[in-house]
Amino acid sequence: MNRAQKALQQGLTSCLCCHQLVALPAAGRCRCPRCGARVHGRIDGSLMLTWALTITGALLLLPANMLPVMTVIYLASGEPSTIISGVMQLYHAGLWGIALIVFVASIAVPVMKLVGLTLLLIQIQLPLPLNPRQAMVLYRVVSGIGRWSLLDLFMISILVALVDMGAVAQVAAGPGSTAFATVVVITMLAARSFDPRLIWDVYDRRRGMDSTNNNHGAAGNG
Amino acid sequence: MKPGRDKTPTRWQRACHECDLLLTGRLAPPGQKLLCPRCNATLHRNAHNSIRYTAALSLTGLLLFIPSATLPLLRFSIFAIGAENTLLNGVMSLFDAGYIWLSTLVLFCSVLAPLGKFLLLAFICWGSGWAFLDRPVGAAVRWYQHLKEWGMLDVYMLGILVALIKMSDLGKMEVEPGLYCFVAMMLVANLTTLSFDPHAVWDRLAQRRAHRTRAATAGGLP
Repeated sequence: MNRAQKALQQGLTSCLCCHQLVALPAAGRCRCPRCGARVHGRIDGSLMLTWALTITGALLLLPANMLPVMTVIYLASGEPSTIISGVMQLYHAGLWGIALIVFVASIAVPVMKLVGLTLLLIQIQLPLPLNPRQAMVLYRVVSGIGRWSLLDLFMISILVALVDMGAVAQVAAGPGSTAFATVVVITMLAARSFDPRLIWDVYDRRRGMDSTNNNHGAAGNG
Repeated sequence: MKPGRDKTPTRWQRACHECDLLLTGRLAPPGQKLLCPRCNATLHRNAHNSIRYTAALSLTGLLLFIPSATLPLLRFSIFAIGAENTLLNGVMSLFDAGYIWLSTLVLFCSVLAPLGKFLLLAFICWGSGWAFLDRPVGAAVRWYQHLKEWGMLDVYMLGILVALIKMSDLGKMEVEPGLYCFVAMMLVANLTTLSFDPHAVWDRLAQRRAHRTRAATAGGLP
């Protein structure tokens, strides 16, 4: 009975940029009167865009992990290392704390982001049990951790300038780093294009289907 | 009597931007946070003296940016030969090696975005005092929201630490004065992000507009 009021059902929406409450015109989109950003009830094509970016990111994860990201040449010897072998080198050198940081930032975080986004999308599109609070926690983790995976690339850019002594010691970037940079950007864009309000739309709609005395659970939802 | 800034004649004053719940409360009391009762999203964080602190901090950040971008951060030497690293020469070496996309990304996330954030915030906070800058300030707040997550000074700092530890067994690593400026700039950047509250700026603009319309109607009466 005492259901939460949703803004979209009242013809209102919150501007995603300045959080001003805006009355939506019939066309469903307008400009925010306060900050001038585009306002629409839900992000246009959010699910499709997030799927596309997530799949792109997952595909790019393969070259990012298989191609070498960095080559350290020391006294004319050295071989290209991928992300994983770089972590293993750090671990075998006894620097397991740094190894853990690099592992989390450049392997665990991208994978977790892609898996988390896929979970969110599947929960929305398939009739799977959905706990909106857990989904929101997942969404916040996914959108908060993404930037830390650039750590490895920053380290490469520092080392390339720092260790540049010709035959004695040299660090060169590898083609995997380009793929990895793209993965990070793509997953950050994917997290941004996901509209968390869809989680609550679906949750309300399913609850509305369960209770029979409900009148307009899924009204106005494209 | 009422300033006509709320166009919608309802009792709702804002909608949660993450779950679309309609709420009556609009702003948090000073020094506290307003959380969404349904999804726990932070709706508004009211920092003390937001505009003044942000103005001072962003100016500090701009000043600190000059030494941290020009002075060397680290120095690495093997035997007698050494090389230095600044914020920009890593980008330059990557660019020269043909990694254009990677170097652009590193340049954007570690130099341009933090600089842009400082410049925008300084402009917003100092410029919101003048009426003729209302529109540019509104646009600047919007750009700041887009730029916010791309400034990654803290990630870069972690990259420096990893590089420092990783290379310390190959040769001699020295910390140069630029690094201290960089650390200070990173701390100031985070403090600036924390102290900035866009609602304070919007309120300031709205109050001035209400004042102006009141003055105009009062002037038009006699």
